[in-house]
Amino acid sequence: MSDIPARHTPQPFVLPHHPVREALTGSVASIAFTFIVVIAVGLFWIGPKFISFGNVSIIGTFLIVPLLVGGFAGFALLAGVVDLSIGSVVGISAAIFAWFVSHQWGVLPAACITLAICLVIGALNALAIVRFGADPIAATLGMLTALRGITWVLCGNQRMIPAFDITYFTLINSQVLGLPLFFLLAILLTLIAAIIVAKTRLGRHIQAVGGDDRAAARAGISVQGVRTAALLISAFGGGLGGLVYVGQLGSAAGATGLGLEFQVYAALMIGGYSILRGGVGNPIGGALGMLAVAGVSNILDLKAISPYYVNIIVGLLLLAAVLLDRFRGGDTYE
Amino acid sequence: MSVSRTIASAPTPRPSLEGWGTPITLVVVWAALIAATGLYRPDFFAHQTVLAIAFTMSIIGVLAIAQGLVGISGGFIDLSQPACLILSGLVAVRLSEAGQPLLLVFLGAIVIGMTWGALNAAIIVFAKLNPVIVTLSTNFIGLAALYLVFQLAQVPNGSEIYAMGRARFLGLPVIWWPMVLLIVLVGYMVRYSRFGRRMTAVGGNRFAAKARGISLTSTRFATFLAAGGFVGFAAVLFASAAGPFNPSSASTLQLSVIASVILAGISLAGGRGSFWMLLLSVGFLATIPTSLVFFGLSSDTQSIFQGILLMIAVAIDGYRARRGAP
Repeated sequence: MSDIPARHTPQPFVLPHHPVREALTGSVASIAFTFIVVIAVGLFWIGPKFISFGNVSIIGTFLIVPLLVGGFAGFALLAGVVDLSIGSVVGISAAIFAWFVSHQWGVLPAACITLAICLVIGALNALAIVRFGADPIAATLGMLTALRGITWVLCGNQRMIPAFDITYFTLINSQVLGLPLFFLLAILLTLIAAIIVAKTRLGRHIQAVGGDDRAAARAGISVQGVRTAALLISAFGGGLGGLVYVGQLGSAAGATGLGLEFQVYAALMIGGYSILRGGVGNPIGGALGMLAVAGVSNILDLKAISPYYVNIIVGLLLLAAVLLDRFRGGDTYE
Repeated sequence: MSVSRTIASAPTPRPSLEGWGTPITLVVVWAALIAATGLYRPDFFAHQTVLAIAFTMSIIGVLAIAQGLVGISGGFIDLSQPACLILSGLVAVRLSEAGQPLLLVFLGAIVIGMTWGALNAAIIVFAKLNPVIVTLSTNFIGLAALYLVFQLAQVPNGSEIYAMGRARFLGLPVIWWPMVLLIVLVGYMVRYSRFGRRMTAVGGNRFAAKARGISLTSTRFATFLAAGGFVGFAAVLFASAAGPFNPSSASTLQLSVIASVILAGISLAGGRGSFWMLLLSVGFLATIPTSLVFFGLSSDTQSIFQGILLMIAVAIDGYRARRGAP
């Protein structure tokens, strides 16, 4: 009786592996296409000004933190443990860092302590999710709320901590070849992350764990170890994001990084990641997703159209991206 | 012999003591919180405290019913509740501004809520996409669209709905009573009615439910319609009691709602949980902010406690599910 399979759904037809076809139909291809469409629309509607150094530099400055945070958080998505707390990690990292700097600490020791605390936060996430088997979305939603509360308390009644260090401010906001230095560094980081995912043993292990944890465990990969590492990486990225925010703004506010997680994950999902199953997505696709969303936002900005339309477009793009992912063999929800 | 044994053991899938674990824990923790606050500040035991807690409970409680329905049917989380609540609340405000009777205000808000639920269900069922991502997107789109429509709304002073938000019945806010009634009623329906059992079956194992002839499509639609209707109902309570609100006013409710559903033991993975536990978990969560005020802590600390509580609850839920898994 019990050995009759309960699953009667026909298995979807999956095309055999072929590198050229995958390059044209894979997740990076569709986001690259979207990205090109956004640039084309910008060029037609705004004119050549859209891709001028000045404009790209404006977009780039806004994108530094999302790119950094998303680049690291992408590892957690790949390992199949979504970390919603990153926005609040950015907030608390900024607050802690600003607190130390405003109490006459040097920038470097302050940054090291801040990043260490962020790693502890990542370890707490891992304890709940990996050790106790908590659901990642709900558990990190709890972490998100708790950290935001701590950030508000740290910022006190003024709602912000001023932390202006002239050397640090100049470093973070310096320009190279007419573009923000840290934007270029974030792009470089994306490329390194892409190489780690595609070419190294760690990257393959993360993908294997995210794709099918039982199969990965049978292949001798430590599922718990990989997921813990992924959550630590994700929290570390949030910490870096907070440090950069303080450098950009010269202060930390209670609302720093508020809602950043949705902005980042929407862009990453448009770029081919999935917050519900691991093993899919690519750092380059994720970065292109961010650039595409930032491009849309910039176009509406330059045309003086209400920024709320950006969220509507992002929401629609998100649905379209998930639908595309399903057609490519992603999870069908029945 | 073996047949009768399997039948006899079927209705008790879990050990009997564990079934009482959730309510006992909730009652103990809640009582401990009340006792601690009362010992620290004896003036905590006042009618004003009860009123404050009951007000907080009303809206979260009705929203938790909707969230619980989505959860128990295997839809995981409805992240679009804030957008749906604000949309229905706006409709309630506009209807009461037009001088419509209270019944029509309720009806309008509930119909709008159900329409929203139907929209979510249509995308989920026809595009076969996961509810979490669908509701995440519709919330994104909905809140942005609402910001284009209005910035601040408020029920007119002196209208019926305004009076309802401030009226009391038997010493408790009027809006508290329908919440209790609905939780009791829905708890009964989910456990004993045909539709409730179908919904739980779909949440527990959708392939088994389908094999038994339960239509996944119509169950999903019905679930999201019902959930939307409850959010519409909650929206009227929200509009009547919350004062002026803007499109992001409901976002802070989301976490309390999800936390109360998980604390009540309604598994987000679907298929198990009792709605009656919501009375305890919502009551406990609604007591926290008031207690913190009496301890002299700022309202910022509220989210610290709620967040940590949610993490612990989810960890326990996950630990139980892992231990209970075959």
